[in-house]
Amino acid sequence: MSDTPIARGPVAVSPATVRDGWEVDARVATGTLTLSDESPLAKVHVRAPFDGASRAALGVGFGRTARADLGTGEVLVVGSGPGEWLVLGAPNTAGALRAAIEERLAGTGEFTTVLDLTHGRGLLRLTGREAATVLGGVCAIDFGDAVTPDGTALRSSLAAVVTDIVRDDQGGTPSYLLHVERSSGQYLADALLDPGRPSGLEVTGFRGLA
Amino acid sequence: MSLLPTTRGPREAAAPSARLGPQPGEVIDRRRSIPFTWNGEPHTAHPGDTITSALAAAGVRVFARSYKYHRPRGLLTADYLDPGAFLQVGDEPNVRGAHRLVEAGMAVSSQNTWPSLRYDLKAVNQLAGRFLATGFYYKTFIKPEPLWPLYEKVLRRFVHAGAITPERGAAVYDHRHAHPDVVVAGGGPAGMAAAVAAARAGASVMLVEENHQLGGHLRWGDAADLTALAELRARVAAEPGIEVLLDSVVTGRYDDNWVGIAQRDLPGVTERLIKARAKTLIVAPGLIERPYVFAGNDLPGVMLSTAVRRLINLYAVRPGRRAVVMSANPEGDLAVADLERAGVEVAAVLDARDRKGVVRAHGRGGLRAVETNEGRRIEADLLVTATGWTAPTSLLNQSGDRPIYDPRSARFVPDPARMPENVLAAGEVVGDAGVEAIVEHAEAVGREAARRAGRIARAWRAATPAPADTTDPSDDDPVTIPSLAPQPHPELFAAGTGGFVDFCEDVSAKDITTAVAEGYDSVELVKRYTTVTMGPTQGKLETVNAVALVAAATGRSIAETGTTTWRPVYSPVTLGALAGRPHEPVRYSPMQSWHERHGATPLVAGQWIRPEHYGDPAAEVRAVRTGVGIIDVTPIGKLDLQGPDVPQLLNLLYVNKWSKLGIGRVRYGVMCAEDGVVMDDGVTGRLGEDHYLMSTTSSGAATVWEWVENWLQTAHPDWRVHVTPVTTAYASINVAGPRSRELLARLTDVDLSADAFGYMNVRTGAVAGVPDCVLWRIGFTGELSYEIHVPASYGLHVWERLMAHGADLGVQPFGVEAQRILRLEKGHFIVGQDTDGLTQGFTAGIDGLIKLDKADFVGLPELAWQRERDEHPHLVGLRPVDGSVVPPEASQILDRSGGIAGRVTSSRMSPTLGRAIGLAQIDRELAAVGTRVTVRLPDGRDITAEVTDTVHVDPEGERQRV
Repeated sequence: MSDTPIARGPVAVSPATVRDGWEVDARVATGTLTLSDESPLAKVHVRAPFDGASRAALGVGFGRTARADLGTGEVLVVGSGPGEWLVLGAPNTAGALRAAIEERLAGTGEFTTVLDLTHGRGLLRLTGREAATVLGGVCAIDFGDAVTPDGTALRSSLAAVVTDIVRDDQGGTPSYLLHVERSSGQYLADALLDPGRPSGLEVTGFRGLA
Repeated sequence: MSLLPTTRGPREAAAPSARLGPQPGEVIDRRRSIPFTWNGEPHTAHPGDTITSALAAAGVRVFARSYKYHRPRGLLTADYLDPGAFLQVGDEPNVRGAHRLVEAGMAVSSQNTWPSLRYDLKAVNQLAGRFLATGFYYKTFIKPEPLWPLYEKVLRRFVHAGAITPERGAAVYDHRHAHPDVVVAGGGPAGMAAAVAAARAGASVMLVEENHQLGGHLRWGDAADLTALAELRARVAAEPGIEVLLDSVVTGRYDDNWVGIAQRDLPGVTERLIKARAKTLIVAPGLIERPYVFAGNDLPGVMLSTAVRRLINLYAVRPGRRAVVMSANPEGDLAVADLERAGVEVAAVLDARDRKGVVRAHGRGGLRAVETNEGRRIEADLLVTATGWTAPTSLLNQSGDRPIYDPRSARFVPDPARMPENVLAAGEVVGDAGVEAIVEHAEAVGREAARRAGRIARAWRAATPAPADTTDPSDDDPVTIPSLAPQPHPELFAAGTGGFVDFCEDVSAKDITTAVAEGYDSVELVKRYTTVTMGPTQGKLETVNAVALVAAATGRSIAETGTTTWRPVYSPVTLGALAGRPHEPVRYSPMQSWHERHGATPLVAGQWIRPEHYGDPAAEVRAVRTGVGIIDVTPIGKLDLQGPDVPQLLNLLYVNKWSKLGIGRVRYGVMCAEDGVVMDDGVTGRLGEDHYLMSTTSSGAATVWEWVENWLQTAHPDWRVHVTPVTTAYASINVAGPRSRELLARLTDVDLSADAFGYMNVRTGAVAGVPDCVLWRIGFTGELSYEIHVPASYGLHVWERLMAHGADLGVQPFGVEAQRILRLEKGHFIVGQDTDGLTQGFTAGIDGLIKLDKADFVGLPELAWQRERDEHPHLVGLRPVDGSVVPPEASQILDRSGGIAGRVTSSRMSPTLGRAIGLAQIDRELAAVGTRVTVRLPDGRDITAEVTDTVHVDPEGERQRV
């Protein structure tokens, strides 16, 4: 038992490996429909007026996403709710990212809050052509291109768990980031894997933001 | 009446096989045989065989007894709708034996026959047939009313249905939501052609087919049909935009094209309900062949022309040896050709177009002879009828359409003018003019459906926050859909000699005419009075015949009589599919794996799975009182509050004062609702100038968050406060006991000395190398304790370090049960256990906390009034005089006159005091310390208990303030 702190995501891993101080799943999927625990990504939560200067500073509004560099490397800025943003960055960059965002918003004069929720939320990524079908097993939302194209963010219920769903395609392949309360992460993973197995859904290790 | 032999029994010589040589369109795999049993007897089938095709190949002709009269029944349609083939398969009742494919090891049996299918004594009902006529149940069992439960029990024994077991079966059910552009209901030639055309136009398509293969009637057709079938299947297979669902049924169409689909072709899933939100729906169900009503029409051996064609061409089964065919259409004529090719002797062909026909079938337990309208009696074991078609317009009816009766084709046809924009019809349900014309019509329908779906998609896209789409073409012109007319067909419904109209419900032609004679002259009333069309086939075989009989009996035309209403569901759906896969969220703390590895007994607390204890809760209590214990309290609700107006918010929501809470200090607070009832409690610490961390009860976390947001958003949107739930951002661990400081000091850089970090203070720092931990010095257990909130990803790491570094101190994990005992010894109440929906603040004993001199807070007027009335019950401590008796919680406390004066809210054996202790809510007259009261136990015994202070252990609080 090491005294060096090891961070762990909400989903049990087997076999495990350690990357950047995080215990992550060592599996590498061979199929094209995958589920990975992306909880090590830095997750910074921003509250600010719905449509003010902060929104302009963050570069995206409610319901959409944008890739940006806020000074800590590439991040994904998600308009996760009315007056709410979620900024995802590389593992172990939450402190710097939070500071960068606070600095960026300081000049707006608006009442804003920037909070590091890296450890408070679980983040799963479901990727593959059949990803929307798997989500259809636990959610009534239309995940087709007409309604939820790449870059869409919405909040809904997945298997009865409140989830921020972010479509963030990977190389043209549909991919969804699923952001939940950390304590619900294992349940949500199970709720997706169970109906997803007939479609060939496999667990794969941490992928990162790119 | 036929109580006697109706099917081949074990003592009879085995019937010669009815299996034919290979057929061009057969769907069975002759290379393999699979075993199954039928009423306990071993049988074999080929893969692809239905249960009844395999049994028919073995010479079995009777598969069931009828619903009311227990008459022997054989195959009628030889497909999903067959009313004579509802069977029990293992523990699954009401299986459609003419549709379900045989699987190895299946145990198939007939339903509700006694003692056997062959000798069914319940067929005695036929003797009472004259008394079981129309409305029998309504007329007979209405009085005397008290006897109905007895009647019900007896009647249930005669119902033709299978048996279920109370045990949970191995069946798996599922739900899926889907949003295809186009759903095509029906995978015949029209459905396939429409699906291909829609997909080629860019639409995503779900093609839903009830049978196990695409193709509809082409499957049992001639060489030209099979060629067309192969071509259409190839086109479907070549379109990646088509999702084919076999053995699946569109069960209903609801508002906004919400389409239910029962899918049964999934490996590992018994049935799945797909909730499809289709942009357009194409209804292409084909036609259903209609039975003819005449005396004896339910005898085994009387079949529809499509049934014999299915048996011969799909399953290579000879349906009989000597046949009479009554044909009114080309399909009937083709059946004659098939029969002759199969080696069946065709004794007579009665051409109904020349007004020849059957009037009566004779036999006992099976067809023996046919009587024609020319007075001939022809010996035969097979009578084939081809007397007309019913257009299954259910889905169109459910879409608002009202089909019109077309006497020229003798069927109801859709009214295109009444169909909504997002529903179209294709194929034979519209008209039947040969495969080429059907395909041409369906292709146009498919293109038009795709066009309309595209228009809807563009409207949706424009309404989403997505960037403007510039790639979509503008709306295309509507597709011209060629006309498709129904072919002429003679009106043939009934011979006028009696017979059954509804084979599922045993409703006869006489029942219909009797109902009309009794005044039920509307087809809707006849339906309800006789139950015609209310069986598992839901009118698909019976409706038109029933309407024709009502029309004849009332003197009205069929068009004037109209049809009954075809409602969802189109075909039965299992309750399991409706329920789907259960989604009951559970929540785990980061330390869950450790709890499991160390034998914790799980406790379901709301959604949370918590350790109740690790084997001995009393020992866990003693460990905390004498040494040190740690408990996982992650579920404690936590809200991050930021902003300059947080103190105003706290002052509004809590009954006590918050304006002067200094940085680094923690304060306990109680929230009441507007009615003064206690709704939650917890501590709030001030972490920075405008930064606070509020804790709530575990069960109240979501409620309090909503409560806070509600006040902020509705009453005080001007306040600058941001609230963020962070319950699971932290793994929360309470380190409690006289040696807790010693243990924690080994792992943190925070100064834990009493002077530097006093009771009701908060600090932040590193624990076990993990930065940004929040440490509260508070005490729910009544001991020196620290509640540490660790960034959740490191929760397991810190927990394991605490256990490792405290080994020499005897550190023990303790669970929720020990915590409940500890807090009861200390006299802390639990909201929701020691309070209820009527417990106002002063009842809860928080008098010192309630600051009525505050300008305002939620519940202030009610609490002021409660104190002014001073007649409320009180929360008190309670000790049974006999300390060995632990009164169960909720035991009643009696006043001196025997009335109810309160109840025990918490009760445990205290390991620290070695006696029973409790908390109780009690009338103020009995609330004084030292009062002796009577507690009535659930078993009726009365015990005496003494009212005490709420705090049973360390009333001075010295242990927690060291």
